[in-house]
Amino acid sequence: MRIELALFASLEPYLPEGESASGRRTRMIDLPGGITVGEVVARLGLPDQPRVCFIDGRGVREDAVLTDGVRLAIFPPVAGG
Amino acid sequence: MGSLLRVDMACLTVKKEPVPAGWAKYAGRALTDAIIFAEVPPKADPLGPANKLVLAPGLFGGTPAPNGGRLSIGAKSPLTGGIKESNVGGQFAHSAAKAGLAAIIIEGRPADPKALYALDIDAQGNGMLNRVDDLAGLGNYETAEKLHAMKGDDKLVTVTNGPAGEMLMKAAGIAVSDPHGYPNRFAGRGGLGAVMGSKGLKAITIPLGIESLPHADKEAFTAAVRKFANALKEHPVSGQGLPTYGTNVLANIINEAGGYPTRNFSEGRFEGVEKISGETMREITLERGGNVKHGCHTGCVIQCSRYYVHPDGSYWTKGSEYESVWALGADCGIDDMDGIAELDRKCGDLGLDTIEMGNVIAVYMESGKAEFGDVQGALAALEECAKGTETGRILGDGAEATGMAFGVERIPVVKHQAMPAYDPRPIQGIGVTYATSTQGADHTAGYSITANVLGVGGTVDPLKPLGQAELSKNLQIATAMLDSFGLCIFVAFPVLDIPAAFEAIYEMATAHTGDPWDADALMKLGRETIAFERLFNESAGFTAADDRLPAWMLTEKLPPHNSVFTVTDAELDSVHDFVAETAAEMGISKP
Ligand code: SF4
Repeated sequence: MRIELALFASLEPYLPEGESASGRRTRMIDLPGGITVGEVVARLGLPDQPRVCFIDGRGVREDAVLTDGVRLAIFPPVAGG
Repeated sequence: MGSLLRVDMACLTVKKEPVPAGWAKYAGRALTDAIIFAEVPPKADPLGPANKLVLAPGLFGGTPAPNGGRLSIGAKSPLTGGIKESNVGGQFAHSAAKAGLAAIIIEGRPADPKALYALDIDAQGNGMLNRVDDLAGLGNYETAEKLHAMKGDDKLVTVTNGPAGEMLMKAAGIAVSDPHGYPNRFAGRGGLGAVMGSKGLKAITIPLGIESLPHADKEAFTAAVRKFANALKEHPVSGQGLPTYGTNVLANIINEAGGYPTRNFSEGRFEGVEKISGETMREITLERGGNVKHGCHTGCVIQCSRYYVHPDGSYWTKGSEYESVWALGADCGIDDMDGIAELDRKCGDLGLDTIEMGNVIAVYMESGKAEFGDVQGALAALEECAKGTETGRILGDGAEATGMAFGVERIPVVKHQAMPAYDPRPIQGIGVTYATSTQGADHTAGYSITANVLGVGGTVDPLKPLGQAELSKNLQIATAMLDSFGLCIFVAFPVLDIPAAFEAIYEMATAHTGDPWDADALMKLGRETIAFERLFNESAGFTAADDRLPAWMLTEKLPPHNSVFTVTDAELDSVHDFVAETAAEMGISKP
C-alpha cells in the first residue's frame, strides 16, 4: 500500500528518498499492509523521544494501524503561541 | 516590596506611594487587577479620565528567575469593555522592578488634548513628565530612536505608543523595547494603546538598571533558579522546539490538526502553510544571515525570539510570531513570507495588534473590499489606518467594527475581541478558553492546545467536549498565577510535565520574598486574580451570554473535519464555578 508521509521540524532529515507528495516535507512511501505507526517510526529510525502523530489530521497513538492512501504526519514535541 | 508610582496626567504630578498591605502578595497581573478593581469604576468610559493604565512587573521582575521578566499592562479595555491584562516581554519589567517599582499607575487626562508627554523614570524609580509634542504621529521605531537620542542613552528601555494609539483606535497596542532597543514587543491585545493615547502619554523611559534585587535567602534562591532552568532546558518543547524554530513551529501542526483558520475562519487548513511555516522562516532567516534565537528579555533561557531580516540581512521586524504569521498570512489567504513581514512591521510601527488586524483584514477581504491573498490590498488597508481615514478608523477599531461596517456575518470575536490562530471547532478546548476568558478571545488565557493537540500535560480528544471545561479552567487559573509572577507562559509546557519545575516556582518565590509559598498558595493566587477580573466584568455588565462563541461556530461546519463547537453552555458556565467562593474568602464582592 502507499501512504503519504510528512515529517516536520527536527524530524525532517529522516524523510526517506522518493517522490515528494503535497509539500517539501512529505513523501509517498510504499509499506506492507497492516503496519502500525510505531513500526513506521522504527523503520524510519526516528529518535527515541516523545512525538505527536496524526493520521489524516486526527491525533493517534503509535499502535494505530495504517491503511492505504492515508496521510501520516509526525512531529517532535513542539508548542508555542 | 516596591512602591507604586502614581502619575496624574491632569495635574501633571508624579508621586511614589507604598503598596497597601493587603496587596503584599500581588504583583504582575494580580496587582494590575487589584488596582483596577479598587480604583476604576467598572462602568467608566475606557477612554475617559476615570480609566487607569497600570504597568506592573511580576514578582520575579528584577531577579534572575528564568523567564521571569514579563510585564503586565492593565486597564479597562476599550475593545472588550471589560478588564484587561495584556502580557508583554521586553526589558521594562526588570528595569522597573530594579528601580523599586511594583506598579506604575497612569490616571486622569491632560487639560490640553493636544499635549503629548513622556514619563521619564530614573534609576531610583522617581518619575517626571516631559512634553514631547514633536513625537506626535511618529511610529514606534522612530519614537524609540528619538528617545534614545534625546536621552543619550543607548541602553534606555522604552515603552511607546504608536499613531494608532494616539488616534484612539481600539486595536492599538503598546510597544516595549527588547534587549537591543527595538520597540518590537507588544502588549497588543485589547486596545491598551488607545488608553495610553487617551492619557496624552506617548512614551515611558527608564534606564536599563544593573543590580538585581536582593533575596531573603540568596542560596536557596540560586538553587531553585538552577532547578527551574534545568527543567526548562530538559523539556523538549522549551529546550529544543521553541529555541530552534520559534513560536511559528506551530503552523504545520495546527494545520495538520485541521485547526489553522484560513480565509476568515472558513477552512481549517491552508494550502500555503509550507511557505509560511516556522521551518521555512528559519531557512529564510539563516540564508539571509539573520538572528534565529534570542530572549525577549534578559534572563530568558528558552529564547523563542528571533529577527526577520531583509534579503540584505538588515533588521526588518521581530521574527514574526506564530499568531502574527497566521493572522496576516493564512487568515488573509497570504502565503508570502516577505509580504507578511512587511505587514507585521507596519502593524508594529503603527502600534496595531497583529492578531486583531489580521482578522480585520480577513473580514475586510470577505466583504469584497480586497481579495484574499493580496498583500498589496492588505498593506493598503493598513495605510488607511496610518492616514486615519474614515475607513482606516473603522479598521483600526477591530474585526467586529469592520464586519459590522462592511456587512460581514462571519465575525470571529468573543467579547468583541478577535480570535487567535486556532479554530475552536476542531480544537474545542481552546473554544472554552475563548468563550469564558475574562479577556475576550485570547489563547494565552488558558492554552488548551496543550492536551488537545500537542500531547503536553495529558491528552484529550480535540473534536469532543469531554474534559475541555475542566482543562481550560485549570489552565486559566495556572496562567493567571504565572502572569502574576512575571513568568513567560511558555514555562507552562515544562511545568505541566515536570513536577520539579512547578516546585521550583514556589521555592524561588519563598527564597526571594521570605514569605512562605507552596503549591496551594500558587493556585490560590491564580484563583484570586481571576476573581478580581470576573467581578469587575460582572459589574461592567457582562453576563453568561458573553461567555459564548459566535453562534455561527455552533452550526457552520469547518473542513476538513467538518466539525462544529459542541461544548454545552452548562459546561462553559462551570469554568468559573470557583469564583464566588474565592471572592468570599478574599472578602470582596464588587469593585
Ligand atoms: S520564551 Fe520567548 S516569549 Fe518567553 S520570555 Fe523567552 S523570548 Fe520571551
